Amino acid sequence: MTETVNGIAFAILAGAAILGAVGMLTTRNVIHAAFWLLESMIAVGGLFLLLQAEYLAVVHVLVYAGAVSVLMLFVIMLTLRRREDSVRPVEVSVAGAVMALVFGGLVFAAIASYGDRVAEMPETAPDTAALGELLFSRWALPFEVASLVLLVALVAAVWWSREEKR
Amino acid sequence: MQVGPSAFMALAAVLFSLGLYGAVARKSAVMVLMSLELMAVAVSLNMVALSRFVTPTEMTGQVFTIFTMVVSAAEIGLGLALVLAIYRQTRSIELTRMDTLKG
Amino acid sequence: MAYVALIPLLPAIAFAVLTPLSREMRNRVRWLGLVSVGGALALSLAAFAAVWPGGQEGEATYRASVPIAQVGGVDLNLGILLDPIAAIMLLVITVVGMCVQVYSLGYMHRDERVGWYFAVLSLFTAAMLALVLADNFLMLYMAWEVMGLCSYLLIGFWHEQEAPRKASQKAFLTTRVGDVGFAIGLALMYATVGSFEYDAVFAGVGQWAPGVATAVALLLLIGAMGKSAQVPLHVWLPDAMAGPTPASALIHAATMVAAGVYLVARALPIFEASGVALTITMIVGVTTALVGGVIAAVQHDIKKVLAYSTISQLGYMFVAIGAGGAIAGMFHLVTHAFFKSLLFLGAGVIIHAAHTQDMREMGGLSKHLPWTTVTFGAGALALAGVAPFSGFWSKDEILYALYTGEHYVVLVLAAAAAFVTAFYVARLWFRVFTGPAQTEHLKEGHAEMIVPMVLLAVITAAIGFTAPGFSKFLGHAGHWPDPLIAGGSTAVALAGLALGWWAYGRRSVVLNTRSLKERAGYAYDALAKKLYFDLTYEYFIIRPYMWTAEHLYRFDQKVVDGAVNGAASAWNGLTAASARFDLAVIDGVVNGLAGSARAAGRTLRKIQVGRVQTYQRYILGAVVLLMVWIVVKGA
Repeated sequence: MTETVNGIAFAILAGAAILGAVGMLTTRNVIHAAFWLLESMIAVGGLFLLLQAEYLAVVHVLVYAGAVSVLMLFVIMLTLRRREDSVRPVEVSVAGAVMALVFGGLVFAAIASYGDRVAEMPETAPDTAALGELLFSRWALPFEVASLVLLVALVAAVWWSREEKR
Repeated sequence: MQVGPSAFMALAAVLFSLGLYGAVARKSAVMVLMSLELMAVAVSLNMVALSRFVTPTEMTGQVFTIFTMVVSAAEIGLGLALVLAIYRQTRSIELTRMDTLKG
Repeated sequence: MAYVALIPLLPAIAFAVLTPLSREMRNRVRWLGLVSVGGALALSLAAFAAVWPGGQEGEATYRASVPIAQVGGVDLNLGILLDPIAAIMLLVITVVGMCVQVYSLGYMHRDERVGWYFAVLSLFTAAMLALVLADNFLMLYMAWEVMGLCSYLLIGFWHEQEAPRKASQKAFLTTRVGDVGFAIGLALMYATVGSFEYDAVFAGVGQWAPGVATAVALLLLIGAMGKSAQVPLHVWLPDAMAGPTPASALIHAATMVAAGVYLVARALPIFEASGVALTITMIVGVTTALVGGVIAAVQHDIKKVLAYSTISQLGYMFVAIGAGGAIAGMFHLVTHAFFKSLLFLGAGVIIHAAHTQDMREMGGLSKHLPWTTVTFGAGALALAGVAPFSGFWSKDEILYALYTGEHYVVLVLAAAAAFVTAFYVARLWFRVFTGPAQTEHLKEGHAEMIVPMVLLAVITAAIGFTAPGFSKFLGHAGHWPDPLIAGGSTAVALAGLALGWWAYGRRSVVLNTRSLKERAGYAYDALAKKLYFDLTYEYFIIRPYMWTAEHLYRFDQKVVDGAVNGAASAWNGLTAASARFDLAVIDGVVNGLAGSARAAGRTLRKIQVGRVQTYQRYILGAVVLLMVWIVVKGA
């Protein structure tokens, strides 16, 4: 039997990711929701590790858990006038539920009909150094463009969120 | 227990659907942005898993995941900046109250 | 020789440096554009020296290319091709560009966005230099579009005002009509040859399927007509005069509008393979030369006179190329670039001094603006085609090409255009420079405005004598003017000038327009309305378009919205009718249906709630539907 991803670790992490997502959607407190998202993100980072994408795992945790969640919390705090505002009414959307169910069902059907043709995990998994080499050789131009995109977005974000001069 | 790519794809589908529901159901701009992030992460998970199982040496999925992260980081930065700007105008981040475009 | 690549890059770098700066910083370092164009000028001189003495036509002194993309296994290159024709164009662009930059320092010094002006001017210079250096049609097209953008930005430079804003849109849209033709032509060319490289395209041009060469040539010609303001796509150029005068001198007289002529000259093998396309080029050219000339003769705005004159002279160049005298056309392009930019710069000084563009409010400027009078005079005589000024030589070559090509009808029409040209030159001259002064405090321009004009005037006076050398440089037999043609064209020019003097010089009173107006009657009226081109477009294109849009909108309102609401009321009506003789149960069902239809109507009306999340829902719903379709189809 060829080795694949550890089933127990996968089950725990997948459960944690789904738990985080469900928690984020069901909690009434916006701040709690941000923390649930954080938990879900960390679980996904763990899944990346299982897939031997170490670099991505680290970057993912840094970006989503580190930066994005903190940013979210900042914005939540800046836009709340009172502590009680963080607790919101329960919002249920039938349309959303229908859409999500239809979508999820379809994807499941597609996966089921496809079958698990690649059940075995290929032995070789290139390491982070190989990824780095790829990024700076074959993908060098898109990589630089991506950095430019980030820079422009950063400047634009600063521009938009600045206080209006009166 | 065998965990193949379809397990990862199923997990990604669940996360994506949950994000989809959140983006439609929640009425706070920040919550919608969080749901969008969840959807982006589901896509990334798919790409990394398939890259590992199908073309492990090419690593195309991993490279694209990096670009996805860049784009969603840029998007979240801009989105939150917009939320702040709107909050300053209307003192609210309820999406239901942003209806100046009403036809 | 790799420095050739720097020629377009220097101004491009200047633009890239200037653009991100703040407005104050940009204004402070505006000399950067000047320095970069100066550098390009020096390098162009070196390139010209390397190409000298030229001779072999089409032989490249230097070529280099970098692939930028791969499409279907074919490399798309950014390439440089330095040959005699490119070397000459480089010199023309950099010299005129340099003069205009220096002049602009004086002309624009009080404008608060002067830094941006210089940045765009640099970008334009870079694009034009890249265009003449291109070794393939794709790069030419890219530079072509950048120039269009710069033209748009400069026409609308004073975008706080209504007229420049409208003029810039008009210019952009009108040239776009031509550019679409150009793009289709390129696509057809690529489909035929599988390459954009000049060499590859021209090598196989003889084996193209019949009609393909004609189609490609005509599509390219449409692009050239848009850019070079040929009838009927000329309407944008007169309005483009709303931009700053030095920009008009560089872009809308000397360089950009000549790009169309350059394109046709470059793609000449395709036109020659077609034959018909050459004839059409000539017909378009001669029509434009005449139409532009006669409209110029009745304009009162000094810049509009020059604009229509530019249109007319560009038509002359097309005539030359169409008649097989591509060298003559290119020579006219070069001489015209110098003397027309000189005239525009002079017009700038005049406008500054007189504070008006209306020639009826000018007069007697010669006493107060000596430098301008002399230099403008040189340009005016060149435009009229009086020896020894440059216009005489190039016009003579064009007429000679028509004569040897035995296009006698066109020759007569071209001579008529030359006559009208001389007439409106005289009209402009006597209106502006002689007679009583109508404005006070007339002041000569600054030194930085006068010096470039003097330089251009010297070139205008001298460059004609290079006519035989010019042909040899491009690899053709050179010749001095033919006595018959030269004598004829001089006679025509002098006759035109004399008529102009008779009508406007003798009494130099403003009133004498009236007499001409009365004598010419309808014809004058037609000319004053620019031969109804704008009105035709207004009535036959813009208004029908607006009408259609309006009615489509109503259709939307009444039929589409109405269908939704109407469904409800229709059901209502049905129920009401059936209620009389149907059972209560059926009644109820139908009523229920009516109610649901009504509810559907209400729901659909909510489409325009203006709430972002509702729109988001539609998008996501569409994605889900797409997903359904994919899965169902795939299964």
